[in-house]
This record gives sequence, structure tokens and C-alpha cells, in this order.
Amino acid sequence: MLRAVLRARRRTVVLAAAVLTGALLAVVLLAGWAGGGNSDVTDVDGSASAVVYAAGHRPLAPDFTGTTLTGSKLSFSSYQGKVVVLNFWGSWCVPCREEAPTLSDVAAQYQPSGVSFLGVDVRDTTASAQAFARSFHVTYPSVGDPSSVITLDFTAVVPIAGTPTTLVIDRTGHIAGAVFGTATYPELTAILAKVTGKAGG
Amino acid sequence: MTDVRAPETDPFDPAAEPDDPPRPDPASPGGGAFGPADWLRWVWRQLTSMRIALVLLFLLALGSVPGSMLPQQGTNPAGVQQYFTSHPALAPWLSRLGLFNVFGAPWFAAIYLLLFVSLVGCVVPRTFRLAGSARTLPPRAPRHLARLPRSAEYATALPPADAVEVAARVLAGHGFRLRRPAPPADRADPADDGHWVSAEKGYLREAGNLLFHLALLGVLVSVALGGLFGYKADRLLVQGDTFADTVSALDEFHPGRFVTAADLGPFTLTLDTFDASYISSGAQRGQPSAFDARISYTEQPGAPVRTGHLAVNSPLSIDGAKVYLIGHGYAPVFRVTDARGQVLYNAATPFIAGTSGNFLSEGVVKVPDAQPEQLGFTGVFVPTAVDVGGTLESVFPAADYPVVSLIAYAGNLGMNTGAPQSVYQLDTGGMQRLTANPQLLLPGQSLKLPGGRGTITFTGVVPWVSLAITHDPGQLPALICGIAALGGLLLSFMIRRRRVFVRARVAPDSRPGSTVQVGGLARTDASGGFEAEFATLAAELRSAHEQAGPHQSAAHHQSAAHRQQEGE
Amino acid sequence: MPVNVALGHVSNAFLVAALVFYSLSVVAFAGDFAFGRPRRAAATRGQQAQDRAAALAAVGAAGRAAAVPAVPAVPEAPAVPGAPAVPGAPADGPASGPAGGGDSMPELAVPALRAIGEAGRWVQTALALSLAGVLAHTVSVVTRGLAVHRAPWGNMYEFVTALTCVAAIFFLFVMIRYRAWTLGVFVMGAVVVTLGLAETLIYTAAGDLVPALQSYWLDIHVTAMTLATGIFFVAAVLGCVYLWVDRYAKRVAAGRAAPGNGIIQRLPSIEQIDRLTYRTIMFGFPVWTFGVIAGAIWADQAWGRYWGWDPVETWAFITWVLYAAFLHARATAGWRGRRAHYIQLLGFASLTFNILVVQVSIAGLHSYAGVS
Repeated sequence: MLRAVLRARRRTVVLAAAVLTGALLAVVLLAGWAGGGNSDVTDVDGSASAVVYAAGHRPLAPDFTGTTLTGSKLSFSSYQGKVVVLNFWGSWCVPCREEAPTLSDVAAQYQPSGVSFLGVDVRDTTASAQAFARSFHVTYPSVGDPSSVITLDFTAVVPIAGTPTTLVIDRTGHIAGAVFGTATYPELTAILAKVTGKAGG
Repeated sequence: MTDVRAPETDPFDPAAEPDDPPRPDPASPGGGAFGPADWLRWVWRQLTSMRIALVLLFLLALGSVPGSMLPQQGTNPAGVQQYFTSHPALAPWLSRLGLFNVFGAPWFAAIYLLLFVSLVGCVVPRTFRLAGSARTLPPRAPRHLARLPRSAEYATALPPADAVEVAARVLAGHGFRLRRPAPPADRADPADDGHWVSAEKGYLREAGNLLFHLALLGVLVSVALGGLFGYKADRLLVQGDTFADTVSALDEFHPGRFVTAADLGPFTLTLDTFDASYISSGAQRGQPSAFDARISYTEQPGAPVRTGHLAVNSPLSIDGAKVYLIGHGYAPVFRVTDARGQVLYNAATPFIAGTSGNFLSEGVVKVPDAQPEQLGFTGVFVPTAVDVGGTLESVFPAADYPVVSLIAYAGNLGMNTGAPQSVYQLDTGGMQRLTANPQLLLPGQSLKLPGGRGTITFTGVVPWVSLAITHDPGQLPALICGIAALGGLLLSFMIRRRRVFVRARVAPDSRPGSTVQVGGLARTDASGGFEAEFATLAAELRSAHEQAGPHQSAAHHQSAAHRQQEGE
Repeated sequence: MPVNVALGHVSNAFLVAALVFYSLSVVAFAGDFAFGRPRRAAATRGQQAQDRAAALAAVGAAGRAAAVPAVPAVPEAPAVPGAPAVPGAPADGPASGPAGGGDSMPELAVPALRAIGEAGRWVQTALALSLAGVLAHTVSVVTRGLAVHRAPWGNMYEFVTALTCVAAIFFLFVMIRYRAWTLGVFVMGAVVVTLGLAETLIYTAAGDLVPALQSYWLDIHVTAMTLATGIFFVAAVLGCVYLWVDRYAKRVAAGRAAPGNGIIQRLPSIEQIDRLTYRTIMFGFPVWTFGVIAGAIWADQAWGRYWGWDPVETWAFITWVLYAAFLHARATAGWRGRRAHYIQLLGFASLTFNILVVQVSIAGLHSYAGVS
């Protein structure tokens, strides 16, 4: 009698364990479920953080105005008709400091052929930003965005998740490509090649 | 709480033991093949039994204990780090077992998921059974009412038919559902003399029980809904600053699985002023008495600016999200200039209060673009500073006498490459210390750095607040389900399912009138109390029978005869 | 608003008075055991019905009821609080015993005042002292609230004084309703001990609340928790009495103790204690559930989320689960009786742990116990 009870009890434990494991597996599978992709966006060089938008599926870049680091007013609409590389950065941001030399190189390469470079300085102060520009010999202007309102406007059309983010805007004012994260030379030049139709500037 | 598997057939039937219905035991001798279908059935029956429900409840309680004792990753990541440093051997094992994130761990989820499977497995059949029993009538009155747990017997002058009529009226008046005997031709038992009435009451009890358990399921679903479609975000905002509700402007952003950056409401919020007042005298000196943050906000770019105020217990609802005031602190303002006077840094730097009380805070200033070497400063901010035996202590939380103590470093901050750094911590590994001792600065005072590296000035102090921005679509459903659960609970506790039977037989020894027998039982009365109800009901029936005396029944016959006359 | 220190002192004075009254009432209840005259046994009808019920319904304690020779000193209990169709205290109605030939009517309950009158001088004294104590205790709690211009349960000391007040009031109600005089010594004794410890160990002078607690949700959430804790306090004491009586009954059944132990003879039967405990928890569990819900609403207002597994929240959840387990256990064969009461006591232990240890020591959002 006692042995039967013990056997039954052990069986209960074994089966409880089996069912628990089954439930666990189900939960783990559910938790690991990832979202899907978007076919209008293609990755650049297989990197998930650099993308190019197919023509006709390019979001319109919102207009904005702001004050540059030197104190003058700047309006984005003044860049109409040009290819613009828009870089969101901050002097406090380590990956931004890491990509700064790359941006300088690409700027030096593409600025002669008419590509404009513009920075958006996020959550920063003018003093620190100017010091950064001096350190890294940044030749192009930056607009201050201490309250992230410009970033907010752009996040409505492209999923900006942090700094740095670099957007490439085509001549019609639409966002043609983006790098979410530290920009590397191959990624940026590949996007620019597609947008300008020229390789190597 | 009612037994789970009580079959509702025989009014005498004691509730069948809920946990051990006869089932094929694989260990029983001669018990043939026990195929997978049988195993599954066995597993299911075990899972939906009260015993396993009990075990799972215990596991749920037990499993929650480490979640309250150990620091948890979600709410206290710094504590988890500290645990790893103070228990280097034990911590990795605890982490593998998921004990630093108990409530998100798969094993914890397995416990409550199994519990809810068990719940659903019990509740659904019982819902069907309740629906069925609500439509069927109470059972026939048994022949020997004296054998029921509660019974009464008395004589009355009324004939049996009238006695049963009166009884039925009394019972109906109490809200019982009645069953009367069938016409003579249909009667099952030919010896049944047909003067009885069955009454049953309290169906809502089971409904309340089921509502409670289903509502719990609803709470779980609501929590899952919030977890999938909601988000939590934090932002530390210095007085005077503005922030827009976008991911890159938030210090922390924890989205649900289906939340994207575009789901954040496009509002912008400015912290105009923050005031904190503290009790300045008495036994509670230093205790905060009020916090108030005045803010202005726009719900979307271009919308009119609105003002409001945030306080603890008083969040602001903007655009589907709620903004809460969680905490506050001090941000001393520093200006760093190089040897030529060019300003390298000029900002309010948030310092974080430590555990020593009265807002003694620590922080860091980083000047990564100083030339030729990067500069870094670690600082301690004391709002109301008093020198106690050589060390500075803060004796009051308000910034009445602010002092900052700085240690300066020069070298490589580690910011030009590698992983992002915390703005509150300085890695001095690649730096050399410039000042031998900490330097104290009052507001307005400067520290000149050796080697012509420049100057740092402590210009003043402004407060900062920490805000939480949350959106939880499961919040309202969870509340509704919680209230429904409470309602179901109250129903199931307050209502008792009971049956009362009344039988009238012709009085023995040829007395006029009849003997009335009343019997009753409570189907679910583990807490007792039906006895008193039955006693009062029996007394009421008896007095009703006494009042409806024989003269009344004579009047009844008279009026019947009168009606017959009129009918002709 | 400044704290009214004078009223604070008045509150303290009344609390001391309450302690004195309670202690004296405990002495009087004990005196009833020692010197009170034995009360008349319950009507045989009631005993018959009880036996029949025990035989037919699977209460599970039937076997033990047969073994315990104790005569129940309490007549069968009247209505459950909140039961729908029960009229007020029946003052009239047919008396027990046959009125006419062959009649057998169930006995109606004796009204409360008459029962008190029949209970003997010691019980009457003890009741009067308990009542005085409860009044003084209530005045103490109320004046404390007036002194600080808010609900008087904002720190641990206030919480403990308020919950013991709730427990005392609730138990007085239960004791009078169910004529359970013999349980008085246990519950009031527990109240005395708890209050005494609170006075000596965690006393906090009347003061203001931190801003986080300045919300009307304080009144709702903490009031509900105070009420529920007071009710569970009574259930815990009754549970201990149950375990003691049950153990004694087992020893008698095993022949290791002589039946006729003086105190246990006079206590209600084990089923009655069990049922009383069950009813108490049935009363307290919805209040605790409401308190948890109200706490979640308040947490959402104050901290931005309605449930964050804060240590105090977690232990309130554990307490809830354990009391739910108790309710389940009563409907599970093999888990009724002793085991169910162990679960109930475990639930109260987790509640106590939550108040005394978790709120004070474990850092979390809840740490405003006001204890240094």
C-alpha cells in the first residue's frame, strides 16, 4: 500500500516536472519571438544599422530652424536642392567622438562635389560643443538641439533611437539613407554613392 | 470555498471527495496498457485538482521570496552589481537560476501559467455545469425529511394541499426557486402522495466563485497587455531645461514588445521651477514637507504652451502617457575655462545623493575637449555644509550653505573610443591626479589647475527632478478585473447554496389537518450558519401555517364555490 | 498644520488606560476558567443536528469530534454576517421542546443580552473591562488622528496600535455574537502583548508625514490593510487555540492524556473553533484583496506603475496567496483541519514579517515606516 502511494507520488513529481518543462519551453519560445522586417528598406552591406530607402519610399525630412554654435540662425530649407548629410551628435557621446574622424574624412571627400554636411547637437551646451568642434576640426556647421525637438520631428519619420545617427537626404528633401549608430567609412560612402550617383565623390 | 467535483444529483449526497475520484493507476496489478491518451488524461486530472492548485500556490508564494530579498535587475541594477562584487562566487550561480530577475524568469512564469491552466481547466466545466443547473429545477423532495441534516416537524390544522400552498408562498417570498410535484399521472413514485414543495436558493454563489477566478485570469491578461503594448521611460531634467518625448532624449526607455520609438507621444516639457520645502525645526527637522515642480508643456510641436505642476502623488497626463515626479536632487553649475579664458564647459551638472542623508551628493565633471589633455573632476556637493571633525557633513537638505569639494584629474577619460560611459562615474585609470587634497569651493570661487590647464569655477546650484514617463494600456482592464474579482469573492463568501423541502402528510390518528415536515441542507456551508437560517425559516413556516388557520381555508372553499357559481 | 502635541499626550494616556483595562479583562477571563460556574450544555437538538451534519457532510473533523468528550459550552451559532434572509435577533419563537404532540422544532438562538446575563459574573466583568479597554483604545487612536490632522496610521507604531484596536473591536463583536467567552483570554491576551511591545519598542511621537504619504489614498489603502491585519490577527490567535485543542484531542485519543482538562473542557468544540476561524478569514480576505488593489492604484499615482514587485508589494502578494491557499485547503481532502491552520498561521507570519522586517530593513519604495 505504502509503496503504491510512493510510486504514485513519484510519478506525480515526474509528470509535474515534465509539464513544467513544457510550459517553460513555450514561454521561452514566446519570449524570444522577434518582430518582422520592412521590405522597403534594404540593409547596406548586410549591416542592420545602415539602411537605404528605395526611391518612392523615402520619408520627407521635416524642416527646422535653429541657432548654430557660432550664434547665427540657420534654416534647413536653405539646403533645398542639395544632398545633405545630417549627423545627430553630442560632445558627451562616446560613439560620436569615435565617428568624428570618419565624418571629417567623408566631408573632405564629398563637400567639393556639393554635398552639404550639417550637424544637430543634441542635449549639449554651446561651450562643450564648440570645444568638440575645435578638437576634431569640424568644418561644417551644427545646429543646437538641447531639448531634442528637432530629433523628435525626425523620429516621427525615421526610427531614431539614440545618438549618433546620420541621415542622408537627397536633392528632393527626402531621407534616402540612414546610419543608426557609429557611422563607418564604408557604410557612409556606400549610401552617398547611391544617393549622388557618383562613387568616391 | 466549494468542493470542485460535487455532482449535483441526490439531495442526500455528501459532496464527493474532490481529489480522489477513482482513476486508473498505472501501478495497479493487472492494469493493462496505459496508453498516451490515458497518461494525458491523468496529467490533466492531476493538474486541475485542488491538491495541485494548492502546491502551485505554495510554489508561487515561495518563488516570490527571493524576488524580495535579492536585488532585482529591473528595479535595482546597481544593487545587482554590488551583489556581484560582494559575493563573487555565489552571484553567477544565482544569476543562472534567474534569481536576479525572478518575476521575469521562465520558471516563475511556468508556475503562474500552470496555475492559470489549472484554473481554466476547473472553471470552464463548472461554468457549463452552473449554466445547466441554473436551468434545471431543484430535485424532488425526499421521502424521509427527518434524515436531512436539518429538519423540523409540527402539526397544523390545514389540509396537506393548503399547507404546502402556504409553505410555497413563504418560500417564494424568500426568493427560493420552487419545484412542485407533477400531476398525478406523471408521478414517478406511485406511493408519493404529492404534497410537497422543493425550494433551492443561492445559485449566485457559484457564479461569484467563477467570476472571481476568471477575473484573476483577466488580471493576468491585462498585465501581459501592458507588458506588450506599454512602455516605461525615465528622464532627469535640470531646472530650466526642456526635453521632447523621443527615445534619444530619454535616459532610460523600456518598451514593450510591440512598442516602437514612433509610439512616444510628441510632447515637449520644460521644468520651469522646482521647490522643495523641509521641516526646519523640531523632532522631524530635515524631513521633507512638500515638493512642487512647475512645468510648461506642449502636447505636440506647434501646439499652445500649457502650464501645470507635478508633485508626488499628482502625475500629469499628457497625450496618453503619464508623467510622474519620482525624485529630485542638486546640480551644481561649473564653468571650466582654459588658460586663455576660452570656455570649455559651462553647465549644470546633476549630482546624485548618496545614502548618508540630507542630500550629500556625488558627481563628476568631464571636459573631453580640453587641450592638451582631457580633464575630469570628481566632486561632492554638500547642500548645508558643516565641518565635523575635519570632514564635511550635510546637516539640512536645503541648499542653505552649499559647498563643493573637488578632486581634479588630467589624462585620458576613455571617451574617444569604446563603450559609452556613465555621466556619473569617472574612470581615473588613464588619468593622473592634479590636486593632492580635495579642494573646497563656495559659490563663486574658482580652482586654478596646475600646469596652465585652466580654471574651474563653481558658479551656483540649481535643482533637478527625475521624471518617469509611462504608458500602460493594460492598467484600466487590470483595475476592472480586480474589482470584478473582489465582487465575485464577496458574492461567493456571502451567499450559500441551500435547499429546503416541505412535505405535508395527512395527520395520523385521524386528526383534522396534517403533519408538516420541513427539511433542509446547505450544499456549500463549510463555514456553518445554515442552522440559524433554517431555524428561523421553520419558525416562520409554522407561524404562517398557524395564521392561515382552518377558518381561512373554509373561506377559501367558500370563495371557490362562489366563483364556480358565477362561472355558470 | 502644526502637530497638536497636547492631543498627542492625551492619546498616549488613553492608550495606557486601554492597556490596563485589557490586562484586567484578561485576568477576569482567566478567572472565569478558574472560578466561574459551568455553563449549561447546548440543547440536545443542536447536538443532534451537529452530529448528523458531521456524518453526512464531509467536514472531515467528524472523527475527531467523536474523540473529544468536551461538551460544547457555546450554543450553536446564529447567522453568518451578511447572509441575506436572516431577521434580527429573534426575541420570540417557539421554545425548544415539544409544544404539541410530536413537534420537533430547531431551537432558536438565545438573544445576546440574556446569554451574557447567564454567563456568570466573571464573564460579565471581563466583558465590561474589554469594552472599557476598546473604548479607551478607540479614543486613543482618534485623538492621535486629530493631533496629526490625518488618518492615524502613517508609521509602524500607529499602524500596530490601530490594528490591535481593530482586532479588539472585531473580536468583541465575534465573542458576543457567538457567545465565545472562553476565547477571550487568548485574543485579549495577544492584544495586550502586542500593544505592550509596540509601546516599549517602536513608539513614535505624533508627527507629520513625508510628502509621498500625503494623499487621500493613504486613508483608503492603509485603512484597508489595518482592518484586514486586525482581522487576521484574531484568526491567527484562534488558529493557535485550534492547534492546541487539536493536539490535546489527539493525545486523548492516543490515551496519553486524560480527558477532562479544565480549560479545554470549557472551550468551544474544535469544529466551532475551526468554523469561527474560517469565518474570520472569509471576512478578512476580501478586505486584504481590496487593500492590495487600493495600494496598486496609489502606487500608480505615486510611482508610475501599479505593480513593480517592490518588496512590500511582493510580501503582500505572498500573504494573499497563502490565505488563498488556506481557503483552498479547506476544500481539499487531507488538507482540512491542522494543515489548513498551519497555512493560515504561515500567512499571518508572512504578514508580520512584511510589517516588521521588510518595511524597515529591505530598501524599497515603501520604506517610510518612520522607524530609525
